[in-house]
Amino acid sequence: MIFTSSYRALKLGWQNFWRNRWLSLVTVLILILTLFLISLIVTVKVVADKTLDSVKDKVDMSVYFSSTADKTVVTELQARLEEMPEVTQVTYISPDEALTKFKEDNKDNPVVLEAIEALDTNPLGAALVIKSKELSDYPAIIDVLDDPVYQNIIQDKARDFENNQSIIDKLSNITNNINKFGLVLAAVFAVIAILMIFNTIRINIYSYREEIGIMKLVGASNGFVRAPFVIESIIYALIASLICLGLIFTLINTIAPFLNRFFAGYELNIVDYFNQNFLLIFASLVVLSIIMCVLSSLIAVRRYLRV
Amino acid sequence: MIKFVNVTKIYQPDRAVGVKNINFQVYPGEFVSIVGQSGTGKSTMIKLIIAEVRPTKGKVIIGDWDITDISESEVPILRRQIGMVFQDFKLLNKKTVFENVAFALEVCGEESKKIEEMVPQVLKIVGLEGKKNRFPTEISGGEQQRVAIARALVHRPKILLADEPTGNLDSINAHEIIMLLEKINEFGTTVVLVTHNREIVNYLKKRVITIDQGVIISDQEGGKYIL
Repeated sequence: MIFTSSYRALKLGWQNFWRNRWLSLVTVLILILTLFLISLIVTVKVVADKTLDSVKDKVDMSVYFSSTADKTVVTELQARLEEMPEVTQVTYISPDEALTKFKEDNKDNPVVLEAIEALDTNPLGAALVIKSKELSDYPAIIDVLDDPVYQNIIQDKARDFENNQSIIDKLSNITNNINKFGLVLAAVFAVIAILMIFNTIRINIYSYREEIGIMKLVGASNGFVRAPFVIESIIYALIASLICLGLIFTLINTIAPFLNRFFAGYELNIVDYFNQNFLLIFASLVVLSIIMCVLSSLIAVRRYLRV
Repeated sequence: MIKFVNVTKIYQPDRAVGVKNINFQVYPGEFVSIVGQSGTGKSTMIKLIIAEVRPTKGKVIIGDWDITDISESEVPILRRQIGMVFQDFKLLNKKTVFENVAFALEVCGEESKKIEEMVPQVLKIVGLEGKKNRFPTEISGGEQQRVAIARALVHRPKILLADEPTGNLDSINAHEIIMLLEKINEFGTTVVLVTHNREIVNYLKKRVITIDQGVIISDQEGGKYIL
């Protein structure tokens, strides 16, 4: 009996969808538009967050030691820094590596290169590249470096983070605004979308009002009347989610090269992000659209059930 | 058996009176015509029988079942025991003749195999065996009403309610529909016919309940149209 009823609900739902295909098409189109708008807001937010993360990740602090610095003291300092909870990574660069890098950086400047070649010994000392969890952690690291023990071996501190501070402040501001206004915007869009979908589904169900009345008169239970509309709504939701997913991926693939060019040098692989989260995105779209459609149709059917 | 005990129905919010203090009983296997002018309460009586509205006062009993305060979830069970035929046929235009009849069984959860067996039988009774794949718009008004009767009969109800079944038909088709209702009554189904067609009532020579302004003014065996 349950099997027979479920099969009939499926059949009737599909029949409703197919025999009213123009109205179904309009409903699906509106649903796609809605889902796409909401996805767009989420995408902008993801891009902004990822940009900020990658810019933050890029920021580090370098400490250059004099060429005469005792290696054991440097290693001790490295160990001390690595123990700090704020520090995520400390990379040791030996004097040889520093020289290679220096040459590489100045390969277009023959005067500097000649001067370096003219020296018998490596004039550069070792260096430590330090990365912290948060930008606000750098002052704590500087306190350590300011320890008098290290003063005679430290030649220079490149406070890269200070140069980046203003960029990061601006980006943080943008992401905060996106988080604030985006949320409001998304909520407004969602409300408009739900109203649009509700209206479309209501028009669709309005065309079935007579049929619903007849079903009730020949003894159909409310559940029997509702089931095909729920099935029909799920069909709308699945089709719209699939098409919307296709649109998002096309969009992401189209804008990714521009974004990557714009943020050249930063780790911002938006395509990878979407590929990795494919299932989550699809599931969210399906669940969101099913909830919107099924709720709308249940509310819309309710008024015609009173026969 | 249908039993009305002191039934009054007042429609809110304008306090329009549907029926007032109605008492009558229809026995199993009877053929009863309910006659009266438009707006006198005939449709209210039908609506009370199928629990589309509840009485303001009094009791409505169908079989042994007091449906006066029937719950919403029990309404479908009641309706599956009563066949209904309407003036405007109320067929689903997007479904074929066969599907329209089968529909009444599907809503009861009947097995598909049984539906395949029962629908052709009942279509044969109403004389539509050759038209099962047509859509309602492709057949005549008289034939559409036959489909509606087939749908009302297919789950073998004990009671058949016909609300102005001939209202939209010419006299020849109307006569054929009435003969079909008589035949159904001979098989043992209780038939309640609501009409204001004088010729039909006088032709039938069965029990006639006459209603005027919500009150029964006459209830006669072998009665005539007196309004």
